This record gives sequence, C-alpha cells and structure tokens, in this order.
Amino acid sequence: MVVLILALVIGILIGMFIPVSIPQDYSSYVAVGLLAALDSIFGALKSTLKGDFKIDIFISGFVGNTLIAMLFAYLGDKLGIPLYQAAVVAFGVRIFQNFGEMRRVLLLKNKSLTKEENKND
Amino acid sequence: MKLKVKKPTGGQIATAILLLILGILISMQIKSVKQSNELKNLEKARAIELAEQINQLRKENSSLRAQIYELESKIKEYQDSAASISKTTELLKDELDKVKILAGLTDVEGPGIIITLDDSKLPATPNVDPNSFLLHDSDILQVINELRAAGAEAISINDQRIVATTEIRCAGPTISINNTRYSAPYIIKAIGDPKILKNSLMMRGGIIDLLKEFSIEVKIEEASNIVIPRYTGTLKFNYAKIKSEGS
Repeated sequence: MVVLILALVIGILIGMFIPVSIPQDYSSYVAVGLLAALDSIFGALKSTLKGDFKIDIFISGFVGNTLIAMLFAYLGDKLGIPLYQAAVVAFGVRIFQNFGEMRRVLLLKNKSLTKEENKND
Repeated sequence: MKLKVKKPTGGQIATAILLLILGILISMQIKSVKQSNELKNLEKARAIELAEQINQLRKENSSLRAQIYELESKIKEYQDSAASISKTTELLKDELDKVKILAGLTDVEGPGIIITLDDSKLPATPNVDPNSFLLHDSDILQVINELRAAGAEAISINDQRIVATTEIRCAGPTISINNTRYSAPYIIKAIGDPKILKNSLMMRGGIIDLLKEFSIEVKIEEASNIVIPRYTGTLKFNYAKIKSEGS
C-alpha cells in the first residue's frame, strides 16, 4: 500500500516538474480518462477492503475504462453530442458507490474492533 | 518494516506503474487547465483594459475639442478688438479673413451648386465588370478638378472641406477624404457662380457625361446659399518653411 501511494506521489511530482503539459485540444479527453482511472482505483480499494481484489480485473479496468472514456469523449466531439457527459455521470456515480461501500466496510470493521476492545476491557 | 520484508508481487508492481502514470497525467492536466484559465483571464483583462483606454481617450478628445472651440472664440474676440484699434489693424484683419477663406479655416457661405453622386442602381449584368458601375476616387477627383477650373471658391465633400492637404483616395470600398472614410453617396458642395459651375460639369463629353454612361446617379442642384464648413483637422508644417528673402 505504501509503495502504491509513493508511486502516485512520485508520479505527481514528475508531472509537476517536467516542462510538458497536455495540449489544450486534448485536455478535455484526458480529464474524462482521469475520471475513469480514478474510478478504477476506488474500485480496487473497495475490493481490497472486501478481500476480493483481483489484479487482472483491476489492470484491465484501469486501462480499458480510461481508453474507452477518452474515445467516447473524442467521438462525442466529432459527432457534436456531449458524450463525455455519459462517462462523467457513469464514473462519477460509481466512484460514490465505491466510496459508500468502502465506508460501510470500514465502519463495520471498526465497530467489531471497538466491540472486541470493549470485551477486552 | 514489514512491508520491506514482503517482496512486491507482479500485480503490485503493475499497479504501482499505473499509479505513477496516473500521477503524471493528473499533474499535467492540472497544469494544462491552469494555463488555459490564465490565458483566458489574460485576454479578458486585456480587453477590459483596452476598452477603458478607449473611453478615456474619447473623453479626453471631447474635452480637447471643447477647449479648441473656446480658444477659437477667444482668438476671434482678440482679432475683432484688434481690428478696431486702427486702420492698419483693420486691414490686417481683412487680410487674415481672406487667407482663412483661402486656406479653408473658416465656415463660408454663398451661392453655388450641390452635386449628389451615387453608385449605379442597375442590377449587375454578367460579362460586365461591376467596378465600372461604382464611384471611384478618380471620378470624384475629376469632378473636383472641373469645379476648380470653373472657379469654385470653396468645395466640400460630405462636409469635409477640401484644402491644400486634402487627399481623395480609394480606401477599399470607401473613399478617404481628409483621412475620414466615406462611402456613397457623395454630396459635393461648391461655392461659386452656379451657372458656370453647372455648365462646366454638364459640358458635352465632360465628366458627368462619362459618369452617366455607366449609369451612375448624378444630381446637380443650384442653390442661392450654401454653407461649407471649415477644415477641422490640424494644419502642421514640419518641413515647409517660408523662404527667407536674402538667400
């Protein structure tokens, strides 16, 4: 877990200091892709907490969802339909759902812990 | 400590790489959004600044114009009071007035003619250059020349007084006169003997004949009293100096 967070932080730092930024035209696609990637990470966190994390599902979801989201946004631009909104809504809702489940799992764990502590007391 | 002992699995390494890429992308995206916002703000600020500058200059301009009028009326007062001092000053005043008329620096009135020129109203016909049916700077120039030859004493186009420095020049679809752009119709006023002025223009084979050939609309009116405004620009001579007698 620490390694993963460290990787993320290092990535952010690298991105900050390299003198490259995303071209204005592609910025909106990347934004949607990032949302998809974040959704995958929240999903992974949830399944880790639940104990049914599978690496292949995570990686395929991360890469696949990101690419499809970007493609969707691009296609929407070309067709004149704001398709990226579909991706935003879908992944947004899923992030909140994942977060909700994580919350529930964590709270239940803590409750059982406190109960045990109480017992120990 | 425990984590260091644990060997990272292949899955963890892959996840770490993905997260690294994600981090890079996130901060790049943030930078890009920031840049675009800054750019937008910059443009907005620039537009606001320019608008403010224009408003300020307009205000300045109008206040300066008011100042000009004030000073001019003061000069006139001085001249009038100076003229009443003696015979010499009165003669000087007369001379000044004459020069002013000549230079176009004072409003003048008198008999003359009013010529209205407008582009041809004929529908465009194929195979004919549409330019032939429009008024050009050269047409106006010819009219002005004709009027001058016939002894016009003061001429204005669309109330722009024709003075020694006046240009009549093609400026895209408009014609620039005293550095002000006008489009058709052009109203040319000339003070002089109305009959002579009119006849010189209507001369057979003259300019009006030529213009009518291209069905350009020409209207000539004789008037017993027309007013021609003075030249409102500045006359500045940076290079030309009066030749000194001795040299």
